[in-house]
Amino acid sequence: MTTPPKLPLLTRLSMLLRLLAVQGSWNYEMMMGNGIAFAVEPALRLLPGGKNGDAYRAALARQGGYFNAHPYLAGVAVGALASAELSGEPPDRIERFRTACCGPLGSVGDRLIWAGWLPACSVAAMLAFGLGASPVVAVLLFLGVYNAGHLTLRVWGLRVGYRDGLRVASALAHPALRCGPAHVARAAALIAGIALPLAVRGIVGPAREKLAVVMGLAALGAFVLARLQGRVEGWRVAMGLLAAFILFSVVR
Amino acid sequence: MAVALYRIDDRLIHGQVIVGWGQPLSLSFIVLVDDAVAASDWEQDLYRAGVPPEMEVTFESVASAVSKMASYESRADKGIVLTGDIDTMLRLVEATAHAIHHVNLGGIHHRAGRAPRLRYVFLAPDEEAALRTLSDAGVVVCAQDVPAATPVPLTAVLAGSGA
Amino acid sequence: MMQLLELLPMTILGAILGLDVVSFPQAMISRPIVAATLAGSLMGEPLRGLIAGVTLELFALETLPFGASRYPEWGSAAVVGGAIFAGQRETTAGALTVAVFAALVTASVSGWSMIQHRKVLGRWGGGMRELLARGSSSAVTRLQIGGLTLDLLRGALMTFVALAVFGPLSRNLLNTWTFTNGQSRAFVVALAGAVGAGAVWKVVHTTSGARWYLLGGLAVGALMLVSRS
Repeated sequence: MTTPPKLPLLTRLSMLLRLLAVQGSWNYEMMMGNGIAFAVEPALRLLPGGKNGDAYRAALARQGGYFNAHPYLAGVAVGALASAELSGEPPDRIERFRTACCGPLGSVGDRLIWAGWLPACSVAAMLAFGLGASPVVAVLLFLGVYNAGHLTLRVWGLRVGYRDGLRVASALAHPALRCGPAHVARAAALIAGIALPLAVRGIVGPAREKLAVVMGLAALGAFVLARLQGRVEGWRVAMGLLAAFILFSVVR
Repeated sequence: MAVALYRIDDRLIHGQVIVGWGQPLSLSFIVLVDDAVAASDWEQDLYRAGVPPEMEVTFESVASAVSKMASYESRADKGIVLTGDIDTMLRLVEATAHAIHHVNLGGIHHRAGRAPRLRYVFLAPDEEAALRTLSDAGVVVCAQDVPAATPVPLTAVLAGSGA
Repeated sequence: MMQLLELLPMTILGAILGLDVVSFPQAMISRPIVAATLAGSLMGEPLRGLIAGVTLELFALETLPFGASRYPEWGSAAVVGGAIFAGQRETTAGALTVAVFAALVTASVSGWSMIQHRKVLGRWGGGMRELLARGSSSAVTRLQIGGLTLDLLRGALMTFVALAVFGPLSRNLLNTWTFTNGQSRAFVVALAGAVGAGAVWKVVHTTSGARWYLLGGLAVGALMLVSRS
């Protein structure tokens, strides 16, 4: 095994851009496997024999197999796999790493982003709306803050993955990833608490004099949904209730 | 029952397990049963990195899991027992004298020789036979990736007629 | 009111935002608070788009997009909801109720279309298996670009069909509407608030201490509500 070469800037940029489309061919057979091959491909051109050489083809075929992870953290895997291929790690070790890193990269990303950063930014934008922000400010606040975190994670993942190679588990144990989700969840809870009443007030419009009733019904509904969580999806229940309400309104 | 779910999922620890099931069921421990992972420190480090600090994860071989099963079931908090393949779960069921009554098929993904049964379940003939053995032993086997999804009974899974 | 000429830019918007949900670039321009506002802006009513967006965002908080699980597609759906609401006057009773219903149905159908998209890609990938196993870079690129293109078309089709169906349907429904504007708005906002608050609880309740942050936040929010009324 050798030390992997420093990746040229254009190669890194190409990998980063391709990472934004890592789920472009997501399917139930390979999941994001082909996307991983697509994103790691620019680095594989540095293998002995160059593009379409034997080493390149073997590595590309290996990287296209089944893989799944959180898309924003897929860069950690892409960086680590590029590093492993370019430093000549044995194929069976690369395969075992691919299998083992799917779950953790999915779990950390889901907790940090889908269950933390995204709801936090969403309720922050709702709070801005509730406080009277204009549409431009509310949307730019959401997109700016959310994507600052999103893009940072993508860039960090690719960099740290390539730096640490198959030893990237230590980077995943970083306090920001271990404890970050809990801090983000608490922040999301606090902002959501402030935002929900103000956002409801902002959208209630012509029913403003019924605001207390609306709040009470929302709280009751939330309590019922929280009790039933995991068994029903609120948006589906709401869709059914809205259908009934609309039907009643037009036929009565 | 402390073990809220016995799950077969070839991705082992991932978002559906930690967040999808972990949050609504308030799970606080995971028992990952896999002979290869139980013998590999670097793989354990990776899987551990995916588990939140407030959640406990232990890595067991089938043999060590069987010896500790009673202690898992008698815990005051709730957890999940995970295997990465059907054969490991079958060995676990048989070695625990059929103390496991429900098994959740959470995800078995595409590989050469496997045929699609559900969008997240692909099975080879020997794996179908192993699932039938589980079912014949009185274990209720249902496929369900996340709690909000409709559980699909084994007969529908094998017929490929699930959701 | 939606004209045929407005359908084209709205369809393009729905296509781009539908693509953002999973395929590219996942920058969350597909979140309802953004998507519905953009749709409203195209109609010249950004604030009405934002109101529809915030309402739909409360529903969307409940569905976390875990890669392999089934979830509604909010990008195209919020364009539909935002456009329908922005196309009605503030005094039209039931406008938000009907717009949100149209968006929820679209989100559900569009979520189903994402599954079909994934199945088609699985079949494409299966057909290219030998090439992929030989490490063909052109096969990898073809599958990736093909998937992105198909997803773009999927979003366009969902948005176009939903607007073509719900545009006229919503006008007909609103013409025969009998609840008052206040009653209609109260109903849909109470539902959105319930789903949103339930979703926040679901997301944060397992994090130690988070429920106290939520309760503390609610107290602050309630105080601000009282002081600003």
